[in-house]
This record gives sequence, C-alpha cells and structure tokens, in this order.
Amino acid sequence: MSRHAISASVTLRLLSGFLLIVQAWFLARVVHGVVIERLELSQVLPWMWVLLAVFPLRAFLAWLSEQASFLASARVKEAIRGRLFRHVHALGPEYLYGKRTGGLANTLIDAVEALEPYYARYLPQASLAALIPLSMLVFVLGVDWRSALVLAISGPLIPLFMIIIGKGAERLNQKQWKKLARLSAHFLDVIQGLTTLKLFNVSREEAKVVAQVSDEYHHSVMAVLRVAFLSSLALEFCSTLGVAMVAVLLGFRLLWGGIDFQSAFFVLLLAPEFFLPLRKLGASYHARMEAIGAAQGIVAVLNTPVPAPTRGTKTLKIDGGLHVVFQDVRYAYEGNRVALSGFNLRIKPAETLALVGPSGSGKSTVSSLLLNFLRAQKGTITVNGINLYDLAEDHWLSHVAWVPQRPHMFHGSIAENIRLGRPDADMDRVIEAARRAGADAFIRDLPLGYETPIGEGGRALSGGQRQLIAIARAFLKDVSLMILDEATANLDPETQEQTQRALAELARGRSALIIAHRLSTVRMADRIAAMVGGRVVEEGSHDELLALEGTYARMIKAYRSAI
Amino acid sequence: MRQVLRLLGLFASYWKWMLGGLLLSVVTFLADVGLMALAGWFIASMAIAGLTGTPFNYFIPAAAIRGLAICRSLGRYLERLVTHETAFRLIARLRVWLYDRLEPLAPARLQAYRSGDLLSRLGADIDALDNFYARLLTPVAGAVAGCAICVLFLCRYSVSAALITLGFLILAGAVTPFSVERLGAPTGEHLVEVSSRLRSQVIEGLQGMGELRVYQATERQARFIEEETRDMLRYQARMSRLNGFSEGVVGLLADLAMWFSVIMIIPLTVSGDLRGPDLAMIALFILTVFEAVAPLPNAFQMLGHTLTAARRLFALADARPAIREPDSASREPERFSIDIRGLTFRYAPAGPSVLKHINLKIEEDQRLAVIGPTGSGKTTLAHLLLRFWEYEEGEIILGGRPLKSYRSSDIRRKVAVVSQDSHLFNTTIRENILLANLNASEGRMIQAAKAAQLHDFVRSLPESYDTFVGEMGVKLSTGQIRRVAIARALLKNAPMVILDEPTEGLDPMTEKKVMEALLALMQGRCALLITHRLVGLEAMDEVVILENGEIVEQGGHADLMRKSAHYRRYHNLRFTWTP
Repeated sequence: MSRHAISASVTLRLLSGFLLIVQAWFLARVVHGVVIERLELSQVLPWMWVLLAVFPLRAFLAWLSEQASFLASARVKEAIRGRLFRHVHALGPEYLYGKRTGGLANTLIDAVEALEPYYARYLPQASLAALIPLSMLVFVLGVDWRSALVLAISGPLIPLFMIIIGKGAERLNQKQWKKLARLSAHFLDVIQGLTTLKLFNVSREEAKVVAQVSDEYHHSVMAVLRVAFLSSLALEFCSTLGVAMVAVLLGFRLLWGGIDFQSAFFVLLLAPEFFLPLRKLGASYHARMEAIGAAQGIVAVLNTPVPAPTRGTKTLKIDGGLHVVFQDVRYAYEGNRVALSGFNLRIKPAETLALVGPSGSGKSTVSSLLLNFLRAQKGTITVNGINLYDLAEDHWLSHVAWVPQRPHMFHGSIAENIRLGRPDADMDRVIEAARRAGADAFIRDLPLGYETPIGEGGRALSGGQRQLIAIARAFLKDVSLMILDEATANLDPETQEQTQRALAELARGRSALIIAHRLSTVRMADRIAAMVGGRVVEEGSHDELLALEGTYARMIKAYRSAI
Repeated sequence: MRQVLRLLGLFASYWKWMLGGLLLSVVTFLADVGLMALAGWFIASMAIAGLTGTPFNYFIPAAAIRGLAICRSLGRYLERLVTHETAFRLIARLRVWLYDRLEPLAPARLQAYRSGDLLSRLGADIDALDNFYARLLTPVAGAVAGCAICVLFLCRYSVSAALITLGFLILAGAVTPFSVERLGAPTGEHLVEVSSRLRSQVIEGLQGMGELRVYQATERQARFIEEETRDMLRYQARMSRLNGFSEGVVGLLADLAMWFSVIMIIPLTVSGDLRGPDLAMIALFILTVFEAVAPLPNAFQMLGHTLTAARRLFALADARPAIREPDSASREPERFSIDIRGLTFRYAPAGPSVLKHINLKIEEDQRLAVIGPTGSGKTTLAHLLLRFWEYEEGEIILGGRPLKSYRSSDIRRKVAVVSQDSHLFNTTIRENILLANLNASEGRMIQAAKAAQLHDFVRSLPESYDTFVGEMGVKLSTGQIRRVAIARALLKNAPMVILDEPTEGLDPMTEKKVMEALLALMQGRCALLITHRLVGLEAMDEVVILENGEIVEQGGHADLMRKSAHYRRYHNLRFTWTP
C-alpha cells in the first residue's frame, strides 16, 4: 500500500518537474521576445498569463506529492509499531530480563518515527534524483547537445563523489555520533552524581573536567567533520561549476551565432534545476543513515525468535483444586546462568506453600515458570497430572492470579485497575474484592474513591496501597492458584500486618505459593520449602525444619527469632 | 524574546566566531545570486553582441562567472566549518555555565533530576540549544542581511521591482512562516500530548507486561497503543499538510515576485531606460534571491522548541541555592558530636512538616540507629545534617557550635556517607574508590576494598580495578555498587559517619560481613545508621523509631524489646531473607 503512495509521490513530483520545463520554456520565450525581438509588453502578455497559471499548479502538485510521501510513511509506521509491540509481547517477560524498558520504549517509539524521513523523503528523492535530471537532459538535448553533454558529464560526478567520500565519512560518522553520545552522557552522569561529588568535596573541580571533556571531543569530532564536509564541497563544486560552464559555453556560442537566445536562456534556466534533485539527495542521505540505524534496532527485535507457544489444547478439571508438581526442572537464563537445577516441588490443593531462600536461590524463577513467563528447559511441570505445556496457555492463565513484589498500577481508575483480570465485573464485586483485600477503607477515604485516577499521571499511591490493590485484583479474578511475591519495601507495621492478613485470606481454600521474606509470613504457611542454589534443600513445617537444624534453622537463628 | 537575549548574552564572548559564520553565509549567498544573475546578463549580452556585431569584453564576465562558482562552493564549505566550530564552542560554554550554576544547587534543588526521565530531558534541552546558532540565528540574520543587500542592488535598476521583491520576500520569509507556525501551534501541542501518552502506554505495556499477561489484558493494551498511534498520525498529517503548504507557498511567492517584476521591467526595457540583458539578469536574480528565505520556515518551527528548552534551562539555573554559606571560614569543631534540639523542617513554606520537634544526641563515639517506614523523614534528617537543606526551626549543634556556622564543604569533609543512591561514575572502579582520597596509596585502597567485601569480586573481573563501570561500562549489581560506595567511605576515614540504608539489596551472607565492616567503621566515631532492615540493632548504642516525622520510641535495643510493644511489632516484621 505504501509502495503505491510512494509511486504516486514520485509521479506527482515528476509532473511538477515537467511543468517546470514548461515554465522555463515560456519564460525564455518572453525574455527572448523582449530582448531580441524587441516586443512590447502587450505582445508577450499571453505567455505571461500561461506562466501565471503554471506557477500555482506546479506548487500544488509539489504539495500533493509531499502528502503522498507522508501517507506512505504513516502506513509504514502504523504497521511496524503494532507488529513490534505484539512481537515483544509474544517474546514475553523472559525477553525483558536484563533489558532497560527505556531502551525498548525508544525502539518502539523513536526508532519507528525515525523511519519517516526515509520513506517520506529519501525513497522518493532517490528515484527523483534519477528521473528529473534525466527528463531535463532529454529536453536540453533536444535544444543544444553541447550543454547536454556538459550536464551529462558533471551530473553523475555528484553521486560518484558522494559515494567515494561518503563511504569513508559514513564510518567516521558513526564513531563521531558515538563520541557525541558519550559527551552528553558524561555531562548527564556528572549532574546525576553531583551529590556524590559534593560529598567528596570535588564538585568544584569537576567544572574544569566538564570543560576539558568538551574540548577533547570537540577537537576529535571537528577533525572528522572536516573530511565529511569535503564530500559536500565536491558536490557543490560539481554542480555550481557545471552551471557556470554551461553559461560560459552558451555565451560563446551565442556570440558566434551557433545557437539562438531563446534556447540558450531556456537551458540556463534548467541548468540549476538539473542539479537540484542530486543535491537534495545528498542532503537527505543523513536521514537515510539515521533510519538505517533505527531500522537495525527494529529488525533486531523482530528477528528474535518467539519461543514456541504452548500449542497445547488440553483443559483442566478443577474439582479437587490444583495440584502442581515440579519434577527435576532446570532453567538457565540466556543459556548459562543456571537458576534452577534438579528442582522438585509439590503444591497440594488448597495448600499454602512458602518458598524461602537467599537472593539468587531461584525463587522468582519458580514463579516465572508457573506463570509461563519462562519455559522449563529440562524436567516437567504437571498440573493435576497434565503437563503444563500441553495446556492451552490462555486456559492455564485463566486459573492463575499473581501479586508481584512491585505491582504495576495502570493508567486508569482504581476500579479499572482492580478489574484488570475481569473487565466486565460489576461494581459490587469490585468493592467486595477491595474489602476482602483491606483496601476498601483507604479507597473510600480518597476524594474520588474508586474513580480516582492512578498510574502514570494519576495519583501516586504508597507501596502498601499498591499492594492492597494488587491483592484486590487477585481476589476479583477468584482463581484456584495464587502466586504471591511478598513485597519487601516500606516497613510500616500497620500496612504490613494488613497486607499479611489480606494475603492469608487470599490463600485460604486455594493452592497458594508465597515467596516469603518475613518470618511472620512464613509462619502462616502450611508448608515451607527452603531453597538454596536452585533446588529445594529442606521441606516441612516451621517446627519440623527448626528441628532439622539445617539451612532454615541457621537462617532463623542468624536473625534471632524470639518467637 | 528575553530568552534569546539571554542566550546571546551567554554566547557574547564568541561574537567573532558567530560573526565569521554569518559573514561567510552572506558571502556564499551573494556569490550564488551573483552567479546566476551574471550568467543571465552575460548570455543576453553575448547574444546581442553576436547579432549586432558590437564588440563586447567577454573575458571579465566569463572569468567572473567561473570565479563566483568557485567562491560559492568554497564559501559554503568554509561556512560549514566555521558554523560547526562555533556551535561546538557555544555548547561547551553552555555546559560549563550550566554546571557552574547547578553545582551549588545540588542536591536540594536537583532532587527531581536523579531519575532518568527529567535527566534525559535536560540532555535534550541542551541539544535543542545546539540548533539555536546554526539553524536559527544564522539563517535568519543571514537572510535579513543578504536580502537587504540584494534589494538595495535592485533599486539601481528599478525601484518598483525592488519594492515588489521586498514585499514578496517579507511575505515568504516572515509572514508565511509566522502564520503557519501560529496555525500549527495547537496541532503541535496536541502532538506533544499524544506523544507523551503514547510513550506512557508503551512503557506501561512493557513494565506491566507480566501482569498484563497473567490477567490476560495484553490485547487491550496493544489496541490502546494502536489508537494512540492513529491519533498521533492524524496530527502529524495535519502538520505535514501545513508544512507542505508553507514550502509550496514560498516557491510560489518567488515565482510571483519574478513575474510582477518582469511586468514592471519590460516597459523600461522597451523604452530604453534599461537594457535587454538587464531583464535577463533581473529575472534570474529575483528567482535566486528567494533561496535565502527557504530555511526560514524550518527555523520558525524550531524557534518554539528552542525557546521552551531555553526557558526550562534558565529556570533550573536561576533557582537559588537552598542554603546560605557563612561569610567567614569555619572553625574546627571542638569535638565530633551532634546535638539536635527541637528540629522542625518542611520542604516548602506551605508544605507539611517532614520533621517535628526532633530531639536527639549522638556523642563522639556513639552509634545511633534510626528506623521507620518510608517517608518518615529519616533521609531528610541525614540531609539536614549534611547541610543540603537549611532548617529554620530548632537547632543542630555540631561539636558545640551551630551547624549553620560551618561551611558546608567543611562539614562534608568530616563525614563519610554511604547511601542508597551513592553514584558510581563512568570511570574505573579504582577511580571511583579514590574519589574519597585521590592521594591514597594502592595498599590503603585495597585494604578498604577488602573490608567492604569488595576485593575478591573485583579480582574476579578481567580488568580488576581498572574495569570501567557505570552506564557505559560493566553493569554492576546493586549490591556490588553499594560495596564500592562502602569502600569509598572506608577510605575517607572521616570522624563522622552517616549510613542511609547501606545494606539494602545485599544477600544475608554479604550483609552480615558488610555489617561487620560497617560496625568497625562506626567504631569510635559519631555514627548515624538509617535502616529498615533491622539487622545489627543490638550492636547500636541507641535506637530511635521515627514515624511521620516524630520520634515515637527511643532507647537501647534490649530495653525497647522489653518495654515497647510497638518496637516488638517492628521486630517481628523483620526479614529472614533478603528479597
């Protein structure tokens, strides 16, 4: 579709170019008439009227051409952005690990925008750079073959020089852009760390460093630019001198009667226009480079293979609740950072299992596997006897709810946020869920209550409040398996106790996996599994594990539980 | 307008460079116009000479044409070089100036700039000002100067043609861009809104991806993004139509200026007031003059962004520092102890009190721990002690004298700080540690690193202490960053220590060892520990619970465990394992 728009753009611009030739012809006729034939104004007026009509028509065609190119680029942007987003989502949270959201957002937004100048400007101009000069050359040839020769020789020199010098400059350009990026990054780094600099009383001296760094980069970049500009010098030289040569040659032929003035003036009017598309191409080359850079980022994402989707089609029978079994599961991030190895775990129906262990022991990997963010590389995960990967993914997820460590509040009202999993739930059910989560009280205290906008640009909720809303979400979804990641921030006994009560309530009567950090949370579980180094090392109730005097007992003693 | 004047004032010392660039730009332009006009005149003269047989000195014009062509090409090249050189110098000057203004403002007035978002906007604003000289000032000034000269030249031939040309030039160079900018302003604003909405939706879609998936809301998010994109495209299409119109109109006005002038000039040629070649020359002259105004619509568009960027930067730089330094040099404190009496503090005069009537004492070799929920004022207390903010009510006495009587740099020389946002710079690990003492020996640095449980990790890196860290280097984990900061503090060897959540993000084994190092660091020094991890409180001399800016409990750990149920509640909620 956008290909049609680009062809339309090129065609319109070409038509506009023909009108330019017509314009030049009539102007040459008028000037010839007055200068050589000594005509009066009234005699040349008809041609002047023609000119007056051509001017706006030409401008209109050029305008239409621009809109067509915009349309082309608009189609491309819309299509690519949608595709990118869905692809990233298909890649799943695993793809996001270790990547900065900001960088990916830039690809989705800015990189896609950077494609515009390529489609809207460079592509059409690339064709026009060949078509317009060629058509002009044809007309000039029809009038004066010698001038046509000069143009035909000097014209191709421009892209030639562009390529020769341009290629070298291109490589240097990339290094230069990186240097410029580092220069501005240094400045921002210094601003960000100003407090630290002040604490060590070196902030005053840093001003000198800022100046020094600017200086260094300035000099090295200018050295590069001097060479890069040579290509544009060559370009200008060829085109300007080309016009000059045409003019001088025409002049001498006029003197010796080899050509009539009208044709000569016509050629002179066209000469600069012959070079114009070529020069414009040189200018938009930069846009091409940026777009290529952007496209690389986009292509990198689109080329990342999507992990084989769970093609399963089986469904679960939930009568007695959910029974989950991990058997000899292994998962390593990016192939070599082993998070789980020989991992075995059983979550019985309506049982609350607390998963504990030091950081890096693999706890969050376990929940990620259950949530289908990751795929086990070895071993099996079964639910009520069926392999997790034989289940239809949507079907499985409809039985799971998740309260993450740092719940995300989406742009919208509190009610909409609670409804995340059940967008059609009526208000009564939303309020009931909030009540059971212990969130109803603080929500009612807010001036707009459940309609309070939160998330980006909305009201900022405290960590504790966000937790309670996330728990309300889970209550509303009302499923058989709860995966709860205990928040660790914001120590405030009231809120923490409230959250714990809510979590306990949420887990009641369902299968629940809690990744626990606080002793009091651990104590509320039916069973505890202690993990170290990617596997479960101890399993049982709190008292059983204490009696073992193993890892768990040591950890507890290290923090001297008084209870 | 004020911003423009201020910017010019800032760049005043580079006036020679700026003028140089401008002159080159004007000369190049005039060479261009001259080339085409002379060429037209030349061939017309040659034609007449050829037909009538009158002698004509063609050497000079022919040479001049070639000369002007060379002049133009070289002129353009030199202009580019000078313009870029100048732009670099101007931006360097801007950075240094901005740094000088920002330095005294940290951290109080720069709190918001710690996060990536506002920081990158600062970077974008500086880059926007880069365009001020090259794409705004020079084209506009150059157009005005160049066109003025050209119009004056035309007056020699026909005042009416000159006036017509002037009129159309003003229409093309000022009226059109201005009206288009005004017409496009509301669309431009909508665009900014929609783009930022789009960005939020995209970032949300990424950050909340997990929850979107689990709660099966992904497709909804994708559709929001598509809607925003379509909205954005609608506004962009409108802008494109306007911009296309603007470009087209400028070209049309050039043609019309030439047309009307030709109508004026033909009778003069017929009557003999002007010669034939003059007509050819003027036609080409006028067409070429309009090249000066071609970059102006673009420049007008940039004006808006540039002024906004300048306004933001000046607003930031104009902020007054939060504290007032004493005029005289500080005297050495008699002893390193802190005595806080009735301290009440609010960030803004109309805002809530963040600290209320705080009374605290830390003796020279005492360790005090402050615990409490986020936002209770703990970090504010540390910032006040470091003289980052000025307190108005109450008093802080440092070593027998009021805190305000000391220069802030003198205070910070005596305090070692480890906080959650201890920043690592884009340089080597060694340089980051040596920030504390540039003259420290390698041995002392390694000693500090060992005590901070950092040494073994650094040795495992291929480049050891010469590894580059920070944004552009190796990405260290939070725990590793913290340990570098602790090594820094250990190396500083200051009589007072402030620790703000120093073990946040460390796993229990490391935490225990680092706590040991920190306790050793606190030994014999006046030390303040701010924490919510409730680890190692038994080793502190006193513990204070700060809630909502007020002290609610105070005492030794063992005492509080016995007497205070509230303290026991905190204790019960402590962590077994780190997250």
